[in-house]
This record gives sequence, C-alpha cells and structure tokens, in this order.
Amino acid sequence: MSTEFKGRREDRRLITGTGRYTADWNQPGQLYAVFLRSDRAHARILSVDTAAASAIPGVHAIMTGDDADIAAMKNPPSNVTWEGRGGMKMNQPDRPVMARGKVLYVGEPVAMVVAQSAHAAQDAAEAIVVDYEDLPAVIDLEEALAPGAPQLHQSVPGNLPFDYEWGDPARVAEIFSAAAHVVRLKHVDQRLVGNPMEPKAFLAVYDATRDIYDVWSSTQGMTMMKGSLAATTGVPPQKIRVHAQDVGGGFGIRSNAYPEYCAVFAAARRTGKPVKWVATRAECFVSDWHGRDFVMSGEMAFDRDGRILAARYDWIAAMGAYCSPTGANVHTLTPATTSVGTYAMAAVHGRIRCALTNTTSVTAYRGAGRPDIAYMVERLVDEAALQLGIDPIELRRKNFISKDAFPYTTPNKVTYDSGDYAGMLEDVIKVSDWSGFEKRRSESKARGKLRGIGLAVFVEPSGGGRGTDPNQAMIKFGSSGNIELFSIAGPTGQGHETVFPEIVGRELGIDPSLITARIGDPDGPPLTGLGTIGSRSMIHHGSASMLAAREVIRKGMDHAARELEVAAQDVEYAQGNYRIKGTDRAISLVNLAKKLGGVAGVHPLDAGAGMAHTSAFPGGAHVAEVEIDPATGVTEVLKYYAVDDCGNIVNHTLLEGQMHGGIMQGAGQVFGEHGMYDKESGQLLTGSFMDYFMPKAGLLRDIYLGDHPMPSPTNPLGVKGAGEAGTTGALPTLMNAILNALRPAGVTHLDMPATPSRVWEALRKAR
Amino acid sequence: MYSFTYTRAKSLAEARAMLAKDHDAKLLSGGMTLIPTLKQRLASPSQLIDISRLAELRGIADKGDCVEIGAATRHVETSRSDVVRQKIPALAHLASQIGDPQVRNRGTMGGSVANNDPVADYPAAVLGLGAIVKTSQREIAADNFFKGMFETALEAGEIVTGFSYPVPKRAAYAKFPHPVSGYAMAGSFVADTGAGIRVAIVGAGPGVFRWKEAEAALSKSFSVAALKGLAMPSAGLSNDLHATAEYRANLVEVMTRRAVASLTGEK
Repeated sequence: MSTEFKGRREDRRLITGTGRYTADWNQPGQLYAVFLRSDRAHARILSVDTAAASAIPGVHAIMTGDDADIAAMKNPPSNVTWEGRGGMKMNQPDRPVMARGKVLYVGEPVAMVVAQSAHAAQDAAEAIVVDYEDLPAVIDLEEALAPGAPQLHQSVPGNLPFDYEWGDPARVAEIFSAAAHVVRLKHVDQRLVGNPMEPKAFLAVYDATRDIYDVWSSTQGMTMMKGSLAATTGVPPQKIRVHAQDVGGGFGIRSNAYPEYCAVFAAARRTGKPVKWVATRAECFVSDWHGRDFVMSGEMAFDRDGRILAARYDWIAAMGAYCSPTGANVHTLTPATTSVGTYAMAAVHGRIRCALTNTTSVTAYRGAGRPDIAYMVERLVDEAALQLGIDPIELRRKNFISKDAFPYTTPNKVTYDSGDYAGMLEDVIKVSDWSGFEKRRSESKARGKLRGIGLAVFVEPSGGGRGTDPNQAMIKFGSSGNIELFSIAGPTGQGHETVFPEIVGRELGIDPSLITARIGDPDGPPLTGLGTIGSRSMIHHGSASMLAAREVIRKGMDHAARELEVAAQDVEYAQGNYRIKGTDRAISLVNLAKKLGGVAGVHPLDAGAGMAHTSAFPGGAHVAEVEIDPATGVTEVLKYYAVDDCGNIVNHTLLEGQMHGGIMQGAGQVFGEHGMYDKESGQLLTGSFMDYFMPKAGLLRDIYLGDHPMPSPTNPLGVKGAGEAGTTGALPTLMNAILNALRPAGVTHLDMPATPSRVWEALRKAR
Repeated sequence: MYSFTYTRAKSLAEARAMLAKDHDAKLLSGGMTLIPTLKQRLASPSQLIDISRLAELRGIADKGDCVEIGAATRHVETSRSDVVRQKIPALAHLASQIGDPQVRNRGTMGGSVANNDPVADYPAAVLGLGAIVKTSQREIAADNFFKGMFETALEAGEIVTGFSYPVPKRAAYAKFPHPVSGYAMAGSFVADTGAGIRVAIVGAGPGVFRWKEAEAALSKSFSVAALKGLAMPSAGLSNDLHATAEYRANLVEVMTRRAVASLTGEK
C-alpha cells in the first residue's frame, strides 16, 4: 500500500538553503533579548543590581523574576493527574519564569535584558551584578533522595515530587520468593542533551490595537505551544498566533513554551516593540530540557525451565531542579506501560521515584521512557540466558506473547493492539545469519579483535499524549477546485507536507500533487489536538486527514447526484469520480468542486474530521554485530539489522528516515552522549560540542531495515508510530552486542556510554 | 564578541610595528582558535592584526634536504602540496587529519604551532622532525620552542614566519582522534632522521613531548618488536572526564606502534 517515493515537498527549500527557521524571521524595529543565567547550582539571591546595566545605551528594559509581569505568570499544572505510591499526589514544585529568591541550577534565567541590539543586550547582561549566597547542592540521584540531602524546594520534602508504583507488589514478592532463578541488574541510563540543530529562539510581536500576539518559534505543534504559553502568561490561546515554517529538530524538547519564551512574550507587551531572542549553543546546552537520566535496578524471576514468572523494577528518575511539563509523566507511566516487554508473565511490579537535583530539567526525549524500559528488560533477558545457560533466542521464543493472543492485556492492565514478536525474531535471525556468527567471531579473533552479536525484541507505546479534544484535520476547496489540507501536526523533519497529501490523494483517488498541505498555519481553521510528540502524528493526524477525505466524498454525494440528475443511492465514488452505477456517466470531484464554487471562503465540500486519542504498540527485533579493538577500546558497528512492525506502511522512504534517525539517536547514547555534571560545583561538564559527543554518519554505516507489519486495529490507517522505535531498539541491541563481544575477555558489566576509554578500562579491569 | 579594530597588515614590518605599539593587540592568522574565543567573549583584544595574507609568510619550497613552509600556509595547502607529499608524506598526511575541511581551509601552520595547544597535531611534526621555527627575529630549534601547555619560546611581539623541516629518511604520524572533538587524544610522530630516531607525542599530556625511551628502543631496531614491553608512564598525562591517564598512556603506546608498523609493514 506504500506510495512510490517521488521526493519530499519540503526538500526543495531545505536543500537550497531557503528554509526559514525561527532566527530567519525579523520584524521592523525589533529589539533583542539576552538572558543572564545562574553560574551556580544552588544559591540564595541576595540582590540583583541592574543600575549599571540600565545605563548602557540602547537598553529598553531589564526584567527579573520579581518584575510584576513576570512574577504574575503561573507554572502550568502537572499533567500527572493519577495517584502514585500510597495514594501520593504529584507534588510539582512551583517554577518561576525567572529565578525568584534562589537559583537552583546552572543556567537558570535570572534576568532578561531587552535592547536595541543583541550586542548592547549582551553588554548589559554582563553589567548586571548578582550577589549570591551559595547553598549546598545535590547532583547525584541517590544522594538527592537520601536523608540529610540539601533540599531544593520547601514544598517538596525529600526532593521527591512523585513516587510512582504499578503492578502487584504482593503477588510479585510471592513469585520471587518461590522462583527457581532470579536475575538482577543495575544500570545507569545517562542524561542526554537533545541538541536539535536549530537553537531555541523566540520572536514575539504584540499588536495592541488588535490585542493579538504573533510569535515565531520552533515547535512540535502550534496548539501545544499556544496552550503552554497561555497557561503560563494568562493570555488566552485565541489571542496567540504561532508561526513555525521550518523546525530544525524537536525530539521532545521543543514541545512546550520554555520560560524564556514567556519572558520575551512579556517584553514584547512591555516595550510595545517586537522582541527577538536566539539562544547561543552554550545556552541551549544548559537550558534546553534534557533527556533520560535514570538509575535503574531490575530483576526477573524464572522457573526451572526458563519461563519468565515476573519482573520487578526499582528506579530513580531525574527531574532536574524543577519538573518540566512532561518529565514526571513520561519517566514513570511510559516505562511502566511496557514493563513486561514482549513476554507473557504472571505479574509485574515497579516503582519509580522522581528525584529533584540541582540540574537542568528533564523531559521527554526521543523514546521518553521507552528505550529505558526496553533496555532494562532486554538486558535482563540476555543476562538470564547467560546465567541459565539457555540460548538467548530460545529463551525469548519460550516466553513471547504469542501472535494469536492479541489484543493482549498485560498483568499491569495495558492492552497491546497487535504484534508478532516470534515472527520478527525469526526474520531478523535469518537475515543477520545469526547461526553463522561463531565462525565470524573466530575470524575476528584471528585478527586480534573481539566480535559480538546482540539482539533485542521490544514493544513500545506510540500515540503519546492524552487529551480530550480530538486531533483534527480539515480539507478546504478553492474556487478552481484546488484542495488544501489543514493540519496542526508540528513536523520537525518527518515529511508531513509530503505524506498527508498522499493519504488524502489516495483516499480521494486523485493525484496528491493537486493537494497542498498547510500545516501549522495560524490563518487556518481553529483545529484541536496535539502536535508531533510520542510517535503519534501518522496515527492521529494521518488518520484525521484520511477521515476528512472520506467526509469530503460523503458530502459530495448529494451534490454529484444533483449534477448527474439521479438519486444519491445510484451514485458511487471511485478514482476521483462520482459515477452513476453501471454507466460511464460521471463527474470528477475536481469538476464538481469547481461547479459548486464557494461563498465567502466556505465551499460546500469543505470537510473536517477528528481522530480521538489512541495508542498502538509498534515493536521490533533488532540485531547488531560489532567488533571491538581491544588495543584502543574502539567499537565498530559492522551491521545493524532492524525488523520492525510499524503497522501498515504509508510511505516507505519516510518510514526509513524515521528508523534510521531513531537508531542513530540510540547509537549516540550507546557510544558517547553524556550530559555530565560536576558533583561538587554542579557545572555541566559537557556543555559544548568539544565535550558532548554527537553521533556522526560513520557510526552506523550499514543498516538493514525489514518490514513485519501487523496492522493496528486502533486507527483507520492501521498504522503504528515509527518515530521512536529505532531508538528504543538500539539501546538494548547495541549494548547486548558490546557485552557479547566483551564477555570472552571477562567483562560482565558495562554502562552506557561505551566510549573507547570506558570499554578499554573495562577490559583492563577484567584482565 | 567585544568590539575591536581589525587591520589587514600590508607587510610583516607593519605587523611588527603595530604589535609593538599595542600590547593588547592580537595577531590573526587562520583564527581557528582565536575567533571562537572571541565569540564567547573569553578574550577582548584591542585590535586584530591580520597576517594571513602576507606573501612573506606564504608558500612551500623544496630546499633539497629540507622543506620550507610559510607560517600562513593553510592546512589544506600542506596536505595537498606535491613537495610535501613527495619529501615528507607524513607531514602531508598529518595536515589532512586536522579538524574538518572548514578548519583545514582556514587554519594555518604558524597559528597552530604558535598556539601550542597540547591536543593540536602540528607540534608533533615540528618536534618529531626536529624542525626549525623561523620568527620575525630569529630561528628556534623545535627542541627549544615548546614550553608546555599553550607556552612557547616566543617573546612578546615575535611573529612566527615559517618552518624549515629536515627531510627524514622515513616518518609516520598515527593519531587517535578524540571521539568528541576530533583533536588528538594521542598522536605519535615517529621519524627516522639523519640525526637519529625521534618520537614526538601530542594529545596525551600537557604539551608535546619526546618519548625518549621509545626513541632509544627504535634506534636499536626500527621495528614494532623493539617497542614490545615498553610502557609509557601515565604519570603526568592528562586525566579528565573523557579518559584516564592510563588510557592515554596506552594510546601513546598503540599509536607509536602503529606509526612504526606503517613504515615497516609489520602487523
């Protein structure tokens, strides 16, 4: 069913350098904002002296957290509305837009200068004198929850804003005490910095006569940006118009309004002039919300035959100094969702404690809890295979949820829609010549190299983000019969401009090139729904586009019957034409639309549709083969095989793009990315590309992608999310391969990132 | 960036005169270190004196038993020069491994050597080949030029004008690039010169240095086998969030072996 790829509509502008990102937009007479940030991890603010800064020529305004307009802004409520352990309610600490009284992490905004030029604003920011009194800081997750730890917020005792528990603790305890074998692991799932290529930026224009704010910002969806700006600033969402033509990467960290956006928003109103802010890369490192950062313990109970009986988890999840809007949600509920993995087991129990530390906030980052739980589950299964002396393939086959068990409800009451884990495993071991590996290992050994093969079979929830409003799309007709598709998805490279018209074109039976996609258009109809987060756009916005097309056909039926002078029941629609059944008399949709015309911008065939929130469960079976040079610790990924079930495939090339990017992003974490703080000073040690690793193309040179689609019954397209699956599979697959290579040399444990120096040190210690 | 004045010097003499008059002035060559420093407001020179286009500082000349290279010669020019590739292929290879194409198209040999970043590549070639550093006022032997991290024998107002590299019998450079920055985490330049074997190490320590024990071993027998059992002491090497001193010591050994192997054909 996949469409032949004829290029992406987005690419002409993107590859000719004519894409427009936030920093490319300017407004006449605009001012420039610069933020002064905390250079310490935890301190009381004794005074902020702005006198010298205000005297610098060109300075229009200096605002701090105590400025009345800023102080009046509200922290949006947490979206964790369910109860935690022992009925605990989410206890979200209040987050000011700029620091008030205290700073809690390096990089926290303390003051904003608005000036005639960015240069003057920067000079003024440097001239602000802040008098601090240092307080003890806590960086380490386990230390933060220990008694006697420095406390970040009076309102959050123990630095524990949320303690989440799921599953059946009693049942699991009982199973574990009687189990023939228990496997235990503890891993660190390190903090990551998202690093979209486009830095954070915001341009705000306030039109006092219309009382409307026009804002330009990189965003994963206009409704999310509007909603979070409105929730913080108190300005109703209908008065905010969000512009985002091209967005240079989202990955979860461009979903909501950052505090800086709200401050710039206020400055535009205060000064009556457009205000623009473009973060430096150094600022992005400390102020873009980070990802991952767990300390994870897990255990799995087995019977004598290697059957999995139960799993139990005890994790700590980093929140940063304040909770980001989705940090506590995606770092508790999401890993819990697939905490049995792809395996049939009797019970599961887990606990994730959210910990506040003097660090940048953590939020959803590509995978957002999914790679983390898949990593834990698939590491445990590999470890069990080793300890039980069972082949890792056999052990998995023995325990999979079977293909005919769907829809399958897990012991923690999650319903997986469809899947064929055993089938995907068979595909991938065949294509990767798994059985021939030992021969290849010997061949590497002869060259002094350590070769390893690793496997992971995983499932993950896609469709993320809850909400009561349906995800809407609308098709509108122009006077020449031209078709425009309106969507509020927030593309950050996925290719929505290309693929949504393809869906509509296919449904209407007309050439997709006749359909223009207007995505995130502030002048479009007021559509509801969420943007591009949680691998949800194809499920929700793709399906809404399809349903809107069906609605167009339905609406046109009566009009076509009138044109054809027959009763509606005698008309059928196929391949772009309404036809009198059994005859060759027909009128095309385009001609019908032309004939009908429109009145005042409203056309009789205009139609919208909504797709209610749902989730589907994509999965995959991945294999990686690696070769390690024991002399240097360098790991080379020889081949990566990914067999995935993303449901029905709409556009194969775009799917490949998502898989490649996702796998590569996982490889980034496996091989080097590490947001590392100094435990004493709380400074981000990896605060530039001189110290923070980024995956480069050479890291994964050979990726095989195989399809094993199991259509999802949860949406009319039958699709499942594809944006995060690659990352979810890559962590356990690559780490299992690396450990497989290192085991013969005596290495039994290694945490990510597997940098050359860490691999070499592990080998040295094992000698 | 803070404000500064920019002047493109018309001659070496003019650059020297300007530098003598203004102690807060800085020379600009390729700017590959200076410009990022300025952009981050980590330096505030009163003026930049651009010497990158001075004809006196440019060009590569074959002088028979040595190759002379002007200080403002860009890395890409060194890496592609027929003279360098023919006479000292290890130097051309080293230049081709520096940074990325953008850096190689702007960065200059003089700028890199004068800056003496402990993780830069060129100091390995200068010290490994026993080159002469020519300045606006004298000639300095490589062994007397490098003085530790970012320190050199250059005096205030002294400008590097070029280099004279003796042509070795054979030489090789093996580099382990830092997985993040691409700078040398360890680089070993091994040269079999008329004046004996020289082994210069960059990346691993606080500055370029000669590994004398390896030189002695290779003098007895120029082979990988001769290095067997020879350990680089980790004391004094860099130890940071990216790698331990022990790992760097190991890399020095491995890179030295690989440099020798590339010349002897050993495995």
